[in-house]
Amino acid sequence: MAELAVDKHVKYILAVEKNKDSFESVVMDHLRMNGAYWGLTALDLLGKLDSVNVDEVISWILKCQHESGGFSGNIGHDPHILYTLSAVQVLALFNKLDVLDIDKVATYITGLQNEDGSFSGDMWGEVDTRFSYIAICCLSILCCLGKINVEKAVSYILSCKNLDGGFGCTPGGESHAGQIFCCVGALALTGSLHYVDKDLLGWWLCERQVKSGGLNGRPEKLPDVCYSWWVLSSLIMIDRVHWIDKEKLVKFILDCQDVENGGISDRPDDAVDVYHTYFGVAGLSLLNYPGLKAIDPAYALPVDVVNRIFFSG
Amino acid sequence: MDLLNQLETILESDPLIDEVGLIHPSQFITLSKECSESSNSSADGAFRPANTKFWNRDHKLGISTEILLPVCKAAKSAFMDAMEQYKTHSDLSVNKHEDKNMVYPSSSCQSFESEVMKHSRALLLLSCDLGTAWNARKLVVSKKQQLPMFTDELHLSALVLSYSHKSEQAWSHRRWVIKMIAGKYSNLQQIIAKESELVEKIAERSKMNYRAWNHRCWLVSYMTREQMLYELKKSRDWAGLHVADNSCFHYRRRLMLGISENKQGDDPSYDVENYQVVKEELDLNEALIKRYIGREALWLHRRFLSLCLIRHWMTTTDGISCHSTSMANEINIFLDKELCLLDPCSTIQDMEFEDFEAQAIYSTMYFLWLIKQIPEFRKIELQEKLKAGNLKNILHKTCPERSFLWDVLEL
Ligand SMILES: [Zn+2]
Repeated sequence: MAELAVDKHVKYILAVEKNKDSFESVVMDHLRMNGAYWGLTALDLLGKLDSVNVDEVISWILKCQHESGGFSGNIGHDPHILYTLSAVQVLALFNKLDVLDIDKVATYITGLQNEDGSFSGDMWGEVDTRFSYIAICCLSILCCLGKINVEKAVSYILSCKNLDGGFGCTPGGESHAGQIFCCVGALALTGSLHYVDKDLLGWWLCERQVKSGGLNGRPEKLPDVCYSWWVLSSLIMIDRVHWIDKEKLVKFILDCQDVENGGISDRPDDAVDVYHTYFGVAGLSLLNYPGLKAIDPAYALPVDVVNRIFFSG
Repeated sequence: MDLLNQLETILESDPLIDEVGLIHPSQFITLSKECSESSNSSADGAFRPANTKFWNRDHKLGISTEILLPVCKAAKSAFMDAMEQYKTHSDLSVNKHEDKNMVYPSSSCQSFESEVMKHSRALLLLSCDLGTAWNARKLVVSKKQQLPMFTDELHLSALVLSYSHKSEQAWSHRRWVIKMIAGKYSNLQQIIAKESELVEKIAERSKMNYRAWNHRCWLVSYMTREQMLYELKKSRDWAGLHVADNSCFHYRRRLMLGISENKQGDDPSYDVENYQVVKEELDLNEALIKRYIGREALWLHRRFLSLCLIRHWMTTTDGISCHSTSMANEINIFLDKELCLLDPCSTIQDMEFEDFEAQAIYSTMYFLWLIKQIPEFRKIELQEKLKAGNLKNILHKTCPERSFLWDVLEL
């Protein structure tokens, strides 16, 4: 079997930042904060986080913070909860959470909780269970989960559960592996996993594995490396990961590498990108691939980073 | 005239543009030829054979791939500048609010606003997921509170969706607009119907589009019972033609749940109608399962329908205990019938056809799933049926990698 081309991937991730004049990089510019999280977490899992300039990253992140306490995807853009979590996660990676005015960030997030317990992504009010996960994950990292109404947040998430055991964006929304990760993650972080029928949900999740060994995100879809993360982390959190063929999945992910220039794509022979590179590496980490740091399935951060937050304070 | 200016002029001169696409430079020549053949007058204002950057005819807009990067950059910086000025200006006018003699006349405020609207429109056509640009439009429009402006937003986001079917921001912008006008203007039901049509149009061109169908599911919460029944009827044929599209079947599930939850008063005729809705869907599903072999979405849909039916029997024998004989009978007959669906699968010896192999797996998993979902007190009886149906052997034969699920059932 092919091996993980660690050095090539490190090189690829570091190079992505420098290529700023393609159309792709211009239209992705507004979500640079997410890109930073994907790239830097992948680097950390690969054991190469020390190859970036910490001060540069931190000062850029702080320039993306707004008066409201929220962060934007890049300088000059509007804040959104999506980028706020990425900013907090990157600061956690570098052990720099102390540069934050934690109350300010927490106030931004608590302000986005609605009457029914759901969360809006920003002041314009779009609601999605993804935002519930983000709020809960972010506040947990900042050790102030008590600032929101957790009970209501949990009951909103449960209202998005479908008869197939999966979860959607809003009540009645179609089950989707990405949304399931968010809902299961949020329930795990709030100690509410007992509300989930683990066999039923595990059933739906393990049916995502297709013949090639890869996982898809919904029925009848093609397998995609990023679902290695969404499906696998959910299976781990509900203790059903032995329901899929792990070896076949490892092989599928490794087949999606560009072994010459580095990077991982969604499917074998497609074009690589940072997003799938991160999820490929994170998936392999969940599968205990040798040489990679372990990643926490709920926080989506390396386990040593999570331990540092909770056990060294 | 610079590129951005050209683009914005076209957008202003032809407000009815309903489709945008990218054109490779070589295609301009082909398009020009086709054009001069079809129309004798080359003096047609919209027809610019000399222009190899933009193509605008019959309310369609083509943008050359060659200029994508420069025009996108120009639009972005123009938008950012306009937004900066607009914000500075509105901060000032807020501060001066008590003083009736504002420093800035309202006309200058309007010119800032129209700059923001002009540049954000061009920018969003080139970079559709730029949330900040959508937000800027929300800000301006919400200050004005005029129906035509809200309608314009629906038009712009439809235009973006015409080429970027999955743009999350464009879909979200529509929901924002609808929430803003819901309740204020009485044409809500009409808007919902139109939205539903838009989703169907886009779903036709972009298969299994989660964002589009999610939008349609969201609409259900605004629908009346009649509308839900109508939508269910209307999407029936579409579902039959797109049997792999799980999202469409999910939409139907959402409608059925909406219908069953919609009980004004205690009208018993609703119960009958609800039962009929599920029953009809089950028949349709069976026909499709037999016509299209090995489609996962169809079998998953059946799981839902069967569960609904079983639950229906268990709740409608109200007052009587759940051991009521009529209910037990109904469920028995139903399960016997479902078990027949397994027969062809157990007899297929030759698994070399992929579709048949898939059919065998999905049908086996369907039945196992049903057992898991069936209430405890039914299980002993079921076990007898299963022995007769030889389900365990079929499971080991068709999908050994899922054999562990047998143990999960604890039969
Ligand atoms: Zn993917």
